[in-house]
Formats: sequence, structure tokens, C-alpha cells
Amino acid sequence: MSPLPDPRVDELREQLKALGYLDARVDRFVLGGGAKRGRGAALAAAASARLGALAGVLLGPAAAIGLRARVPGLVASGTDAIVLAAYLAIFFGLATMLVSGAAILVGAAIARRSAASPGFPRRARQVAAAAGLLVGLACLVYLSLWWRTATGAGSGSLAWTIAIVLIAVTISLLLGHGVMVTVLAFLARSGLARSLEPGLPLSSWRTTAPLAALSFAGAVALLVTAPGTRLEPAPATLTVVPTNQRVVVVGIDGIDVPTLDRLRRAGRLPQLDRLLAQGVGSLASDPDRDPARVWTTLATGQPPERHGVRSLEARRVAGLEGRLQPGASGWSAITAATDLLRLTRPTIASGETRLIPAFWEVAARAGLRTAVVHWWATWPAPDDSGIVISDRALLRLERGGPQDGEIAPASLYQALQAGWSDRRTRAASEGAAAIAAELPGDLSAAMRRSAELDATLIDLAADPLLGTPDLLVLYLPGLDIAQHALFESQSAGALSPSAAADRLAALEQYYVFLDQSLARFVDAGDPPARRSPGEGGPARRSPGEGGRSVILVTQPGRVEHAGAGMIALSGAVAATANVSASATAVAPTILHALGVPVARDLASGPVLELFTGAFVDAHPLREVASFGARRSYARTGSGAPLDREMIERMRSLGYLR
Amino acid sequence: MTALPAFFAPYQDAINRALERVVPGEPASTNGGAPAVIDAMRYTLLAPSKRVRAVLVMLAADICGNDNRALPAACAVEAVHAASLMLDDLPSMDDAPLRRGRPSAHRQFGEAIAILAAFGLLNNAFGHLSREYDAVLATRLVTLLADAVGLDGLVAGQAEDVLATESMLSFETLERIHRRKTGVLFSASATAGALTAGGSERDIAVLTAYAKNLGLAFQVVDDLLDVTGSSEETGKVTRQDARKTTFVSFSGVEGARALAEELCRTACAALEPFGRRGAHLRELADFVASRRL
Repeated sequence: MSPLPDPRVDELREQLKALGYLDARVDRFVLGGGAKRGRGAALAAAASARLGALAGVLLGPAAAIGLRARVPGLVASGTDAIVLAAYLAIFFGLATMLVSGAAILVGAAIARRSAASPGFPRRARQVAAAAGLLVGLACLVYLSLWWRTATGAGSGSLAWTIAIVLIAVTISLLLGHGVMVTVLAFLARSGLARSLEPGLPLSSWRTTAPLAALSFAGAVALLVTAPGTRLEPAPATLTVVPTNQRVVVVGIDGIDVPTLDRLRRAGRLPQLDRLLAQGVGSLASDPDRDPARVWTTLATGQPPERHGVRSLEARRVAGLEGRLQPGASGWSAITAATDLLRLTRPTIASGETRLIPAFWEVAARAGLRTAVVHWWATWPAPDDSGIVISDRALLRLERGGPQDGEIAPASLYQALQAGWSDRRTRAASEGAAAIAAELPGDLSAAMRRSAELDATLIDLAADPLLGTPDLLVLYLPGLDIAQHALFESQSAGALSPSAAADRLAALEQYYVFLDQSLARFVDAGDPPARRSPGEGGPARRSPGEGGRSVILVTQPGRVEHAGAGMIALSGAVAATANVSASATAVAPTILHALGVPVARDLASGPVLELFTGAFVDAHPLREVASFGARRSYARTGSGAPLDREMIERMRSLGYLR
Repeated sequence: MTALPAFFAPYQDAINRALERVVPGEPASTNGGAPAVIDAMRYTLLAPSKRVRAVLVMLAADICGNDNRALPAACAVEAVHAASLMLDDLPSMDDAPLRRGRPSAHRQFGEAIAILAAFGLLNNAFGHLSREYDAVLATRLVTLLADAVGLDGLVAGQAEDVLATESMLSFETLERIHRRKTGVLFSASATAGALTAGGSERDIAVLTAYAKNLGLAFQVVDDLLDVTGSSEETGKVTRQDARKTTFVSFSGVEGARALAEELCRTACAALEPFGRRGAHLRELADFVASRRL
């Protein structure tokens, strides 16, 4: 058995290191490049570069972990994590190199000014120590605030926090020490070696240990007092109280309420009239008409700042699979520059950047059978949220080949593809029949294409392959695309009265087409019950003999800037009401109709006025703390990504310029 | 007793032969008491010795690729070291009766002659360098040795040591004394060898790091031997440092031994850039760590 180490020897060892003996690896590494010939500035540059390299290696991976936590979707794989860490290592390396270089040069310049004075040795050591402390302190403050941001207020575990703070203190001490050593070496190289006292200030355990303890306490204080970023708490367990309602949610983009009312009064929209005959809520619209942003707000019950999908157009960072969603407007100039440098490239917002679960994902987690068709930012389709025919599914069905997360469950893809040709033929025929107005060729084609798209989606949503889900969600973009083509395209600039009338007539025809197409969801009879390919998993409520509620959700689309959206509930549980509500109330209202408890941390509660008193009495509002954050899904598809095609499709439909 | 590494012998032979020329037996001109001074110089300089510093000069030159020109520098270093020993042993300083297994110079020749002989050795060292090398290299070597002897070297270290006797020193002060008395000459030896071989600044930096750690290890072992060794083994009176603060005072015998070994390991690690070429210097460090004489 070896004797215990003598504490006196440990102390002497540290003193010897401070006096330049034994293995001071950091000093050797930092100053290694400065051993070559050259002036002090060359030593400062070489040492700064080495400090930068040290900081890059230490801070890059740490920052990547933090960024991954804060920007879901950015890191989609292990390779992404490595590439991101490499980017950040370069960034932090360069930043530290510049800061260290400045600190070394300034510190050395200040120290040299007193070279002639008798107190120079002490003064030089003080200045070197001050430069090192400054850099170390800056590093510690940054790391503490980073951890605060990465974990949110009080959400990091105590053990992790202590470990991270210890690492932060160590990194900061290392960098600060490196700067201090370099300042002294710089002075020595400048011919002042003889005036300097040997050894390093603040390097023995007697000073390092209290300094480290002080740094630790300071970092902890900073963590406690600095405002943190709120993160989603852990998801609550969800228990469904059956309402015996199957819910169909139909989202229609581009509905102009005055036009709708006019056509309803004229008796041309009987199906929509039925859907709007009971409880109707006017939705305050997001002034930003970006469809991905708006429809994700509707789906999650949280504002864009929380759900993370800020715009349709996202950025893919070179070398990374994940996406980055620049938030502030100031980013546009930066992304333009990074696009030009090929560091980033445009892509379409996806579920990878969504932080909050959508209402169908919450319902699926609660054990209900769900199916969603074409809602924004649904790609890649997760494999544990019922049936998802994502916003890239049509493109995949058109192109064929192995899928890349476009449809879940994967088995559904083959079945849908088998009938794809017939479905397209039917939809094309419906689209051609829908628009009879006299329009220029390109507008006519755009209208037909929009109608064909909506007809395809409605056909998909009504497909028996989807079974009889408790929640069926359908998003229809055709009206918005058609409206945009008619009134926002280049040809709409200066319309003659007759041309404007033709376009208005075409738009009205579209409303009528849509109304007719919705008949199958409005009719009371349920589609024949079949087992969905997506069935399986946790215990779920039996659909029983209950009724069906249809929730119509509309938005004014990209053309009408002053309009409002709507939520309309129809069916046995719907009251007759006309209320105002927030867009964030849509998701909790749908969940309440299904008997799923509502999260208290959503931006709004359900619009209970839309439900009958009997329903509200029988199903009082139940709440849970939070739905938590959306799970991060790794894509398992083997198919080629459709990014390029998706961008082209979005351009052709007028979403992107 | 720990045996010197085998490679030492040819170096020692070469150095001993060359030292004969630094202080020839027959003075160039005879007058008065000069023969006594010369005898005293030769008595100390040519006394049986390990020649560690001189061998270090040769090895440093060798590792830098050329030891053909290193011998005069090795002799100069050895002469400076011998002078420092003579002064160190004086009654006004350590008053040491034995040196290298023989009566110390002042005991043999008297104090005055010993002092003069020490100065003679110093002057011969610088003169030897000036005569043996070209002006540029000679200037660098003379400056190097002058600094090692001067106010940040042997003189300063000895002065602080004399004044500090019987008072408890701080560790920093003790290190400073030993660095000046021992470490600086070790570093100068390594640097001198590298300079004679045209070594780069990087080579010099590496060798300086090696020599610095080795020098302190050498001194720590010296302190250990003063406590644990015998006069027969060390060739000088032991327990001389009982009234002095030494490394053993701070760390105990085992602690001092551990630190000495660690310093030698660090010295070896510093040689990493030289790869296998550093084998002899590593052996030297191993010898210092385990020496008993």
C-alpha cells in the first residue's frame, strides 16, 4: 500500500510550477509558437493563435451543446453536431484570438510604460495578472450566461449546473492564465526580462484555489440572478375523458369573410353555411401573413416566439442537415450575406424547427387516433403521432421513390402510391370542372392547379386507408393560392373593370367548388370504419356511437391584409355563439372537444362559448401543467431529400419570390 | 554509489585533457607567488570530478548536431564552476574543509591564494573562450557566462545564501538562491553547448527547460545527500546544511526525493522534440535523480 501523498509536496509542486519548473503544459503550449525568432508582436500573435485554438477546442463543443438545446432542428444527426461544433470552435477560436491578442498587446504596452520605474517588476506582474483576470472573467461570464440561456431559469439539474460551472471556471482560469503568461513573455521578449521577477503571479495554489472558489461563487450568483430563457417543462401525463365526439378539423387558407358572407347570403355555399351556422369565433390575425408561421400558431396554441416556426423560409447551414430559423428582421441582411458566401442556403420551414407539439400530436400522445393531412411544417412525419401526410407528401407521391419522412406510418405510403394515379386523374377532372370563368391562360392554369390540389387533399383525407380517426385534420391551401394568383400576381397590377369582374367570378367559383368538396365532411354519416394502417400503440378511447364535430378554421391568407380568421364549431356539441378569440385558442378548443386536458402554459384557453352548456357541464375544463417540448425526431427515411423541389413548388405557388 | 552513465567516460577524458590546457602546469612567465596560484587553480580544477556541467555542454552540442566545437566552452564552464567552489568553501562563506574528497583549496594553499586562484580560473575561462571561438560566438559565450556568474547568477546567489544563513527562508527565496548558485550555470552550460553547435532558438529553449529542471533536481539531491549521505560518498563534509534551510526542510526526505525525481522526469519530457537524440541527456537526468555521490 503506497503512503498517502504528502500535502507539503503538493504545495511545493505547485510553487515549483509557478516558478517555471515541472510540466506547465499550458504555458508550454501557449508560448510554444513564440520560441521562434521574431519580435514581441510575433510572440503575441503566435500565443493569441494558440490561445484561440485552445478556446476553440474548449468552447466550440460546449457552445454546440447549448445551441442544440436552444435551436431544435438545427442538429439532426451526430455529423451535424460535429460540424456545428467545428463551426463554433472556429468562431470562438477567432474571437478569443482577437480578444487575447488585444489584451496581451494592451497589457504589455501598459506594463512597458513603467519599465524605467523602480516598481516595474511588481507593476508588470500586476498588469499581466489584470490582463489574465480580465480575459478569464469575460470567459466565465459568457459561459455562465450561455448555460443560463441553454437550460432556462432553474431548469438545469443541480449536479449538472455544478459540473458545468466547474468546467467553466477551469476553462476561464486556463485562458486567463494563458494571457497572463503571454504578457510576461512578451515583456521578456521586449528586452525587459532582467527586470522581471521570475515565476508567475496568481499561480500557486494559495492564490489559485481562492480565485477558483471566488469564480465559482460568482458564476453561481450570475446563474441565479441573470434573467433566463424559459424552456418547456416536462410534458404531463394526459388522460382522455371521452366526449364521444370524433372531430374533423378543416383548415382553409385564404377565406375572405365578406366574400364568404356574400356568397352564403346568396345561398351558394350550403356546406360552409352549415359549418358556420352554430358557434363561430372571430380570430385575431397575426399581422405577419406567413402561412407556416400562422398555421403553426393555430396548431400549437403558442405564439411564434414559443413554437419556433417564424417564417416559411428557413436556412440550412452548410454541412448541417438541420435548419436554422432566423428570427429577427435584422437577420435578413446576415442571411443574404451568408447565402452569398454559400454558408447557408434557403429551405422551407419544417417540423424540425417546431418546438411545441401540435394539437394532433398531443391528442396522439393522449392515446387518440389521429390523422393530419398537409398542415404546414408537418414534415418530417414522426412515427409516433398517428397518421401524418405531411406537407411534402404530395411531392413524394408525385415523384415516387423511397420516402424521406413524408408520410407516417411508412406502410401507408405504398398504399397511397398505388392509387395515386387514379386520385390525380379524379382531382384533375374536378379541378377542370370547378373553374368556368374566362381567364387568361396562366391564371386559368393556376386556378385549375389550386382546385386540383385541394381536391387531391380532400380525397386523401376521406380515403378509407386513414380509417376512422378520432381526430382528422385537413389543411386546404388552394383558395389562398388561387386568390394570390388572381389578385397579387404581376398581371393583377392594373385590371380593367371587366377583367376584375372575371377574376372575382373565378374566385367565387372557387368558393363554390370548395363548398361542394367539403360535403363529405359536413354530411352526418361517418365514413365506413376501417382499421387504420397507423393503428396500434397505447390504449385509446373507443369511438363508440358518439357524433362528429367539425371545426372549421380559416385564415385570410396572403392577399387580404385587414381580414380576420375564424373558428367555427358545428355538430351536436356546438352552441350558437359569436365570439372573438385569439388564434392561440384554436388548439385548446380542439383538444377540449376531444376530451384531452389543456395545458395551462398555452397562450390561451379553449373557447368554451362555442360548446353547449350541457357539454361544458359534462366536460368541465381539465388542465395539465404543460404539454412539454416537442420531441426531436431523427429522420429515418432513406429517400432523397426534396428540398430543391419543395422550394420550386413553393415558388410556383407564389409562396416564395 | 550510483555509477555514472557509460557514455560519460570518453567525454570526461576529453574534458580532463582539455582542462590541462586551460591552466598549463608551466606559467607563461614566472614571478613571485604565481606558481602557488597556478597550483591552487589546477588543484581544484583538475581534482577528480564528475564534470556534469561540462558534459552537459558537450551533450547539448551533440544533440544540436555538432559537438566538435564544444570542448573549449565545456572547459570554460568547468573553470567557472571550480572557481565558484573555491569561493564557496572559504572560511568567510561555508568554511568547508573538504572538497572532491580532498582538503579544500583554502585549507591546502591558504585563504589568500585560494581567492586569487578562484579569480584566476574565472579570468582563464573568459580568456579561453575569447581565444578559441570567433568574435561573434565568443562574445555570446562570454556574455552568457558573465551573466551566469554575475548579479543574477553565482555572485548574487552566494551573497543571498551567506546573508540568509541561520534564518528560515521562504521557499521562493530558497529556490532563487539555488537557481542562481546552481541552476543558472546548468542553463548556461546547455545554452553554451547549443550555441557552439549552431542550435536554433527553439533548441536553446528546449535545452534551457531541460537544464532548469535538471539544475534544481541536482540541488535537491545535494540537499538530500547532505542529510542521508556520508563524507566518503559525497567527497565533502555532510550535515553542513543542518543550520540552513534546504529543500528537505520543506518537504522531508521522501518528499524531496519525489520532487527531485519529478523534476528529472520533467527535464526528460522537455527533450521530446529531439526524439531519440535526447537519449544521453535522459540518462544524465536519470543519473541525477538516483545519484548517491
